Amino acid sequence: MRLLWAELRAAVPMILHGNPTLFSVIGFTLQVAVVATVIATIIGVPIGLAIGLGRFRGRQVLRVLANASLALPPVLVGAFLFVLFLPQAPFGSLQLIWTKRVVFVGQTILALPFIVALTAAAVQGLPPGLLAQARLLGAGRLQVATLALREARIGVMAAVIAALGTALSEVAAVAILGGNIYGYNQTLASATLYETNGGYYADALAIAIVLIALILVLMCGLAVLQHQGNGIRLRFRSAT
Amino acid sequence: MAYVWDQIRGAIPLITHGNAYIMGLLWVTIRVALVSTSLALVIGLPIGVALGIGRFRGRRALQVLANASLALPSVVVGVVLLLLLIRPGAFGSLHLAFTLRGVYIAQTVLALPYVIALTPAAIQGLAPGLLDQARALGAGRLQLATFALREAKIGVLAATIAALGAAISEVGAVVIVGGNIQGHDETLASGILEQFTFNNANDQYAVAIGLVLLALILVLIGALTVIQQRTGGIQLRFREA
Repeated sequence: MRLLWAELRAAVPMILHGNPTLFSVIGFTLQVAVVATVIATIIGVPIGLAIGLGRFRGRQVLRVLANASLALPPVLVGAFLFVLFLPQAPFGSLQLIWTKRVVFVGQTILALPFIVALTAAAVQGLPPGLLAQARLLGAGRLQVATLALREARIGVMAAVIAALGTALSEVAAVAILGGNIYGYNQTLASATLYETNGGYYADALAIAIVLIALILVLMCGLAVLQHQGNGIRLRFRSAT
Repeated sequence: MAYVWDQIRGAIPLITHGNAYIMGLLWVTIRVALVSTSLALVIGLPIGVALGIGRFRGRRALQVLANASLALPSVVVGVVLLLLLIRPGAFGSLHLAFTLRGVYIAQTVLALPYVIALTPAAIQGLAPGLLDQARALGAGRLQLATFALREAKIGVLAATIAALGAAISEVGAVVIVGGNIQGHDETLASGILEQFTFNNANDQYAVAIGLVLLALILVLIGALTVIQQRTGGIQLRFREA
């Protein structure tokens, strides 16, 4: 344990004294996580609603696909995008590889399955008669969707938190697409990998501690949400 | 798109001819996946069942902790384990850093939260009264645990699938603890990372490794999902009632 303690003792002052490199990494990580999650939410919630509510052919297939995409390893997604972004490849003209922008693009694409699959699941988990009733009372498509979104808001928020969590802790796609360039496009997770590979264990631990702290804050948010969610579900149950 | 197709076409011979490097990666990955998932089940199921049916103090707090550990970033697990496993560290004398056994440990630690967090969730989702009935009929602790596990097997299999998925596709801890040593403890996932970051992207190898990894995930997760769905009748019956 003594090695771990020694490195920890060296790591804590780095956080307390506000190491400028560390702070720029924290800033970039938060920026990536927030922007990627917001874009993924804007794109993903309508798709999730359509898959969850729609009564068109092939929605079952789409649901399975959405769930399966949750199981895709980020390292594969990163590699696939990298090949697409190579200069000779279809999206090569965008010149994204090893830039800051590509980290945003990669994390948005990785966050999307969480939003789509979990939104669809949340909407499907609503009490069965609720939406049918709304339809019967003459609600249009948009109104039904708004109602479903409002009723399933806790599930959707859980999806957003899950997406934020991956954006914070994911390392493979960030390292592949961005190239893990020191002082430029490192996130907390990829910087941890970088510092450890270089043997700078105290630096790595300092970054890891900050990462854990951010994730703990997120998890507390999730716990609070779930607590509220239980209340709502219980009310529904007792009503039936 | 022509470029991407060319890459895939170039990669396929590497797979069909059984390129030694790629087959080595596949073999290491299968071993890591099976060993870590089994270890995680052996360690995690008793804890998960205890959390699911136990009625002791602090159970809720432990469950919140288990749920939170699902979000543990793999790089953090990697750094902490490495500092415990390298030479002057607490377990340095066991020579586990930069070995395959070290990778087994790292992936077990990463797979464990899935088993510990999802098993109690599955047990608590059982029809209310079911376990109380068993208790009332005089089932002992061990009988109750076996019963709960059998009834919640769909959820437990879902936990197993999630654990297996993590063991196959996680890359942060494998790279840090194993050191990504070619032909020794490099997995398919960490092999892809290496192809792209440390070498000058050797595309065809990377694409070939990616295809093998995708196939492995489809086969393993697909097989487990089929098993899970076959056992699905029980829950449906409960719901109807």
